[in-house]
Amino acid sequence: MEKEDQVYRMLEKVYDPELDQPLTELGFIDHIAIQDHHVEVVFRLPTYWCSPNFAYIMAEDIRKYVSELEWVHSVKVHLLDHCASDEINHGATKGKSFNEVFRDLSDGDLDELRKTFEIKAYYARQEKLMKYLLKNGMTKKEMIGLSLQQLNELPLSEEGHLLRDKYLEKKRALNHSNTLAFTTPEDKQLSEEEFSFYLQGAKRTRMSMEFNAHYCRGLLETRYHLPSND
Amino acid sequence: MIQTANGEEIFVIDAHIALWDGSKENQLNIHGEQFISCFYDYHKNLSPKEYYWPWDKFVKYDPETLVNDVLVKGYADMAIFQPVYLKEFYKNGFGDFDANDALSKRYPNRFICNGTMDPRHGERGLENLEKMKEKYNWQGIKLYTADWYGNSKGYKLSDDWSKRYLEKCQELGIKNIHIHKGPTVTPLNRDAFDVADVDDAASCFPELNFIVEHVGLPRLEDFCWIATQEKNVYGGLAVAISLIHTRPRYFAEIISELLYWLDEDRIIFGSDYAIWEPKWIIEKFLEFELPEDIQEETGVTLDLNVKKKILGENVARLYNIDIEAQKEKLKNCELNERKAKLNEIKANF
Repeated sequence: MEKEDQVYRMLEKVYDPELDQPLTELGFIDHIAIQDHHVEVVFRLPTYWCSPNFAYIMAEDIRKYVSELEWVHSVKVHLLDHCASDEINHGATKGKSFNEVFRDLSDGDLDELRKTFEIKAYYARQEKLMKYLLKNGMTKKEMIGLSLQQLNELPLSEEGHLLRDKYLEKKRALNHSNTLAFTTPEDKQLSEEEFSFYLQGAKRTRMSMEFNAHYCRGLLETRYHLPSND
Repeated sequence: MIQTANGEEIFVIDAHIALWDGSKENQLNIHGEQFISCFYDYHKNLSPKEYYWPWDKFVKYDPETLVNDVLVKGYADMAIFQPVYLKEFYKNGFGDFDANDALSKRYPNRFICNGTMDPRHGERGLENLEKMKEKYNWQGIKLYTADWYGNSKGYKLSDDWSKRYLEKCQELGIKNIHIHKGPTVTPLNRDAFDVADVDDAASCFPELNFIVEHVGLPRLEDFCWIATQEKNVYGGLAVAISLIHTRPRYFAEIISELLYWLDEDRIIFGSDYAIWEPKWIIEKFLEFELPEDIQEETGVTLDLNVKKKILGENVARLYNIDIEAQKEKLKNCELNERKAKLNEIKANF
């Protein structure tokens, strides 16, 4: 595979944590430049004001994943047109922690924020799959008792397959060990009484993420005069 | 006022408008330029094409343009100014209390001029708040918690100084606190859009009304949760309602969630003029019907009665406006003739 393709393959693993979508799909990667063993990744965001913490998470992940390629010796991350471009580019390229870079404005690193948004992404993906299964005739009771193995064996449409894969990917990221298919982010079993309430909560989280996605995509298109992605 | 086909009157209050100066001459630095550019992207991203403004008009428009867009073309009977400082970005600030005040004197009973404050201004700011109340008779305050001030990139409503300012509002009878959440509130390593501090403030100050502009988006789930707990928390629809053109189904989901969690008495219309013109938003909102599946799932109703509450009745209550008395006061307003000529909408209800 060409070096450029390899880099893009790694960038597919970098997600916007608020939107739960890869940067490559969102149009956030402006371009990459490769010189021997050095890679520069130039990326852009929908506004000049996008939250620096989320921008930093993306910058850190770009560096982390691209560095995993064996032939890569150094990665330069370059965020364009942002109110904290200088701090983010310098810090992420040097591998500094967020707290080191924004010492006066923060009181810690980004681990908690990453975790919060991992859980939100879990809820959002789970809700989509649950809604899909309910629509296709599964009852709440069946869903609560469904085992992971049974979920894996369900014959699903293409859409269903995709939703299941996405959900299970997040479930693995949260290190769940329960044998049930649908558990809370803490891996606890759901009860029949709380099921509807739980699903409503998950729906609101999914809606917030979708709002961000609609909005951010549109703003990026307008900001950089891109064709609409709809 | 909008008259429906069967003669029913809808009194409209646009609860979120601005008269700003984002011009090159007023910009202090690149941040000022980027701030207004970002607004312009919002404008172009969600407006129908026939409502696009040229850049030069967008950065600075004159007061009569506002009157025409909001009160004449835009159906509103009244509108509320929500100014912000942004003094680190603009030489004279972004909003202008005097310009708003002048308009409200030029067209009596049409405008409510809210103010703004910044708890980081300390004692001096508290004294200033008193003076401003005296001078402009502020009924409400717009808070922009992401505003920069010196090295600070924002503040929270749960900060000690914020509480002192809210206490002062309560004492002065400034009852309506409109909060916009922007993306740079410290500490920066946390979720910058978190609305949890509104919860804290709303329970500390039960006599004040907290109108969360943009219904807490992009954290709708947190907002709904807080609004369910605190009865003095309201949802301002500015921004969310502008999705009605490009993302109608998504708007249906939002509005039905809000109706489900908050009930129909705590949702307030605002166009966020001049980011968007109220005319197209109101027309589309009046025509809007919830898709059947969404209605079935949430069991909420969005009929004309509910729309009337959202478009005016709810916010009228917060600002002690008696709608029938207000109609009387506006009977001889010079704008009526122009309004009548343009307001040809006949909603089919």
